[in-house]
Amino acid sequence: MISTLAYGLTVGGILYIISIGLSLTFGTMRIVNFAHALVYTLGAYILLTSLQKLGVGFVPAAGIAVLAVIPVSYLIERYVIRRLYGQSVDYAIIATYAVLLIGVDAIKWIWGAIPIPLSDPVGASVLILGVDLPVYRLIIILISLLIFVALEAFFNRTVVGKIIIAGLEDKDAVASLGISVDKYFAVAFTLGSCLAALGGVLYAPITAVNPYMGFQVLLICFAVVVVGGLGSIRGTFVAAFALGMVMSITGRFWGPAADTMVFVVMGLILIFKPIEA
Amino acid sequence: MNLSLTLPEAFVALLRKFDVLVIIALFLLLTLLISMDRTIEFMIFCIFVLAYDVLYGYMGRLSFGHMLYLGTGAYAFALTGELISSNPFLALLVAVASGALLGLILGPIIVRTTGACFALINLAFNQLGFFLALVAFSKWTGGEDGMSVYVDKVWIFDFSRKTTVFCFALLSLIVVIFLMRRLTNSLFGLLLRGIKENETRVQFLGYDTFAVKMVAFIISTSLSAFAGALFILNYSYVTTSFIDPLRSVEVIFASLIGGAGSVYGALAGGVSYKLISNYLPNYVQRWEMFLGVILLLLVFKFRAGVWGYITAWYQRLEATPAGKSGQPPEVGR
Repeated sequence: MISTLAYGLTVGGILYIISIGLSLTFGTMRIVNFAHALVYTLGAYILLTSLQKLGVGFVPAAGIAVLAVIPVSYLIERYVIRRLYGQSVDYAIIATYAVLLIGVDAIKWIWGAIPIPLSDPVGASVLILGVDLPVYRLIIILISLLIFVALEAFFNRTVVGKIIIAGLEDKDAVASLGISVDKYFAVAFTLGSCLAALGGVLYAPITAVNPYMGFQVLLICFAVVVVGGLGSIRGTFVAAFALGMVMSITGRFWGPAADTMVFVVMGLILIFKPIEA
Repeated sequence: MNLSLTLPEAFVALLRKFDVLVIIALFLLLTLLISMDRTIEFMIFCIFVLAYDVLYGYMGRLSFGHMLYLGTGAYAFALTGELISSNPFLALLVAVASGALLGLILGPIIVRTTGACFALINLAFNQLGFFLALVAFSKWTGGEDGMSVYVDKVWIFDFSRKTTVFCFALLSLIVVIFLMRRLTNSLFGLLLRGIKENETRVQFLGYDTFAVKMVAFIISTSLSAFAGALFILNYSYVTTSFIDPLRSVEVIFASLIGGAGSVYGALAGGVSYKLISNYLPNYVQRWEMFLGVILLLLVFKFRAGVWGYITAWYQRLEATPAGKSGQPPEVGR
């Protein structure tokens, strides 16, 4: 029971970290961003290379991975996302999916298609209420909570964060104040991408690193964003942990159904509360 | 008919009049250029693209989980063949009926939504269907291993021979094209396009848009199921790849390449996509990257697709003698 709970919180934490970016892009630009999965996968691969080639520890390697996706996300934002602003959702879906295809193929080109396992960077485990829990999982839960607190502060205390939140509510009104909203949306996009890369980095030791790792996670993150309410930062937090728990509890009773249960929940939410988008 | 037609105009008028014959001729030509097996696959895929286009091209709703409806038809066909009767026509009928039934059940939930929500809710249901086929009902569907299907010979239809399958698929495609053209040129087709442009205004005119959307959705799901059943008739084998949500993008790409919202566009898109995905990997190792670049170009530069540009080019050709300047590309009807 304790281990199910801990697993749910771990998955929830990672889902939260990845979903923030998706939620921001959907909230600000009404774009379903498939390219998010690319940044996530790229983060995991750069971590891998930093560990193997540079021989640095896990924490510096994670830092390199998170920073390395900034130029990539800038290119995606500048040349794909920004050109799609205000256009039909369909084209945004297709274009960002095309970016994902190109990126995943590039990853296969550089790193190969074979999944690469990664060992637990901490390796220790602690005994909590008679259950052995890996310390690494607890660290993930802690990091996700820290990120939640930091983002709350960012969006409520800083000017940049407040502009982004205001832009989520009413873009035109913010623009009429003489603020170049697109620039701030670009900041939000990059922030979201860095967090996605961090999600990839944190999840890499739990699963094996492979070029298609982004696809499945992305679908689940969409479910998180939909359940949490599009563009709602706190809603995403609650939904991520709720769905993480749904996954771990379902997985405990019937392993293969874990992912599907998330979509069932999303379907139910959409039936009773359809989004206008 | 106008008597003062120029030669290219007369030629195009002739093509329009006998378009079904032209389509048959082009597919026969395709069997010579590539193999008959591949052509059968292309034609069935074209039926799927046409079914998809009812929602995407005409009604303006992008579904990201249309493999669910294809897969429903595929599994309904296979299971009927396995459990009830090995008459291929009964199995086809059951497949189409189950596609329609699924549309009837899911429709009230799905068609109320628009945009990203429509795309994602289809995806969610597709994921559910994939799970049912792969894990929950694996006792009957064979799970990941799939199952073989054998059908009886009925009258002159011996589906173990590829020629018969080819003729039947071609006949089905022609019937579907005919139906689609009747449908899209009717008031119903006009209402669909109206809903794409502005649903509220269609409601203002006194039409029940929910009913229109439901009918369009059910037509799309049953036709997709029909295409799925035909695929199984051709392969005599069904696996979960026929209901895999990750493959849903194929039909979107095909629709976009060809040009959405036109019967010929769907055909051009279906054949082009299949050509790309079948032959490009032989020449270009990084074909997914190539496909991605093509898609980006389509979205940013050539939004009207292959057929849209052919139409636009022809319109320019028509307009030039009269001294008009070239018109912006418009999606062909």
